Amino acid sequence: MQASRARLFKEYKEVQREKSADPDIQLVCDDSNIFKWTALIKGPSETPYEGGVFQLAFAVPEQYPLQPPQVRFLTKIFHPNVHFKTGEICLDILKNAWSPAWTLQSVCRAIIALMAHPEPDSPLNCDSGNLLRSGDIRGFQSMARMYTRLAAMPKKG
Amino acid sequence: MGEYRSSDDDYDYDYDYYDDDDEVDFVDDDENAAELEAAVEPEIPPNSCPSSKVITKESLLAAQMEDLIRVMDLLSLKEQHARTLLIHYRWDVEKVLAVLVEYGKERLFAKAGLTIVETDDVSSSQVSSSYCCNICFDDVSLEEITTMDCGHYFCNSCWTEHFIVKINEGQSRRITCMEHKCNAICDESKIRCLVRARNSDLADKFDRFMLESYIEDNKRVKWCPSVPHCGNAIRIEVDELREVECACGLQFCFRCSYEAHSPCSCYMWDLWSKKCQDESETVNYIAVHTKHCPKCQKLVEKNGGCNLVSCICGQPFCWLCGAATGSDHTWTSIAGHSCGRYKEDREKETESAKRSLERYIHYYSRYEAHRDSSKLESKMKETMQDNIKILEECSTASSKDFVWLFNGVDRLFRSRRVLAYSYPFAYYMFDGDLFADEMTKGEREMKQNLFEDQQQQFEANIEKLSSFLDEKFHLYNEDEIKDLKLRVIALSATTDNLCRNLYECIETDLLGSLKHSVHKIAPYNTNGIEKASLPSYQDT
Repeated sequence: MQASRARLFKEYKEVQREKSADPDIQLVCDDSNIFKWTALIKGPSETPYEGGVFQLAFAVPEQYPLQPPQVRFLTKIFHPNVHFKTGEICLDILKNAWSPAWTLQSVCRAIIALMAHPEPDSPLNCDSGNLLRSGDIRGFQSMARMYTRLAAMPKKG
Repeated sequence: MGEYRSSDDDYDYDYDYYDDDDEVDFVDDDENAAELEAAVEPEIPPNSCPSSKVITKESLLAAQMEDLIRVMDLLSLKEQHARTLLIHYRWDVEKVLAVLVEYGKERLFAKAGLTIVETDDVSSSQVSSSYCCNICFDDVSLEEITTMDCGHYFCNSCWTEHFIVKINEGQSRRITCMEHKCNAICDESKIRCLVRARNSDLADKFDRFMLESYIEDNKRVKWCPSVPHCGNAIRIEVDELREVECACGLQFCFRCSYEAHSPCSCYMWDLWSKKCQDESETVNYIAVHTKHCPKCQKLVEKNGGCNLVSCICGQPFCWLCGAATGSDHTWTSIAGHSCGRYKEDREKETESAKRSLERYIHYYSRYEAHRDSSKLESKMKETMQDNIKILEECSTASSKDFVWLFNGVDRLFRSRRVLAYSYPFAYYMFDGDLFADEMTKGEREMKQNLFEDQQQQFEANIEKLSSFLDEKFHLYNEDEIKDLKLRVIALSATTDNLCRNLYECIETDLLGSLKHSVHKIAPYNTNGIEKASLPSYQDT
């Protein structure tokens, strides 16, 4: 069996075992393909994403864990480091700072941390970045909250 | 005659660098001519060691070992550690010493990702019989674990996979530990050993990469840019801009690896050669999508992400302006870096487009004309040989007596080359855009007049020399030949002098007075571009 498959299988077992350990992350493997995963993560509290549930899609390469998985948001999110249309995430650990010691679970944690602390160095969403750059925190927060309401919360009624 | 040189009494010159076959002790009954000749060919300092060397495939290892041993002796290091250190410092032993003196051993090593702490092996720190590898989460026995110098351990199969991926990514020389945020460079002997067990071809590839690091990561060594590649590299001993000739005969600029282009600066030549090429799709693509790394000069293609780009050599730089930066950056700025990226975005006026095209054509046609005549003149030598043969048959003259003729031709070639490249130089030097901040319009016009005066004088002399050399001397009698000889020798000296003056004008008056930008050119060498010497030692 490929090393990547073996490792993903181990991660799968780990996820099953620790299902309740981290209530903010729900990591699910595709039924038929162990290289495809999805995750539901909760928007961190005290951020405009609070109360929202965001869906992530993982595409794991064959060389995993030596190469990072490709992760993108399926849920629309207004965040400077996330591409508004494609959901692509600009996060150093998913690019050159990747280390094989990361797991899918820890990647989810890193993404939650990124939601709480937008890193303005890699702007994929310029509008969002511009708001932060000009110091319009309120404007940024209300936009982000609006999109969280629209896209990441269950429709009421 | 110029006062920069005095004719010497004991001139047993080496004519080695000439293409004609025999070495000549120039003895002539005509003292005048001999003296002139002495003035044409400067004395080669007897103790001058060659400033550039050819490194062939065979001598590569020996050349590399020389530097390695210096560092190993100095810091009492193992070979692989010395190599890691030298790769990081681009094989600059002096730099290693400077850092050592300034920051001490620890910082020196830490900067290069070198950890030589005698860490306890897993065996002594843990006593259990199996260990969990943090990559594959498998429990493995002690024998299947490798600990790197940084103290991190993983199972052999994960290490091997990691190395294979990194080698295939072209990162052989900078394979870091797998642990998050650990920058330690992995021990090359362990890498070699593990990779060889899995894939011996790849291990060979790894060895080759390590060996070639001496060329690739070394600012004093460059591959000869010949196509097809001759397999040689050139090492220069002095840290300055120069042009060299490889053993394969190719002459190139050591800084930018393009053809020898002085008195154009590398930047000007880069602009010029791109301008002259057909604007093919490839060129467009390269221009639009790539930038030169400010550290290793390799072309870097941006494959996504933000405007802070890292080269394969690890150097971060700003994608907007191409300048080297640190890796710390925020939304508004990169730490310690401000780039004037709006400067170049000035709108070009359509009106000036036509004028600039005419200007370009003016310079380009002259540049081409001199390159063309230099091609025609290369046939001159053959014609001369034939003519000399005719003379030999009907008189006592021998080809030895015509060394001055070939010297004249060589002088003509060299001068013609400089003249050709002086046109693209002038194109950029007196172009309002490139040095807009440097001089006022008045200054520019004044400098342009000064330069063009010299250039024209130089050009006139070259044409005259060319016509002298074109004379049908095989029909001449002895006195006429003697006369021609005097004329050629005198004119060669004058041309050399003018060429030197032109360089001086460019180096001091034009480029030397720039305040904001640095353009350097390879210095003028009256004997033409230096040939790199072949290695004297053999790889054993």
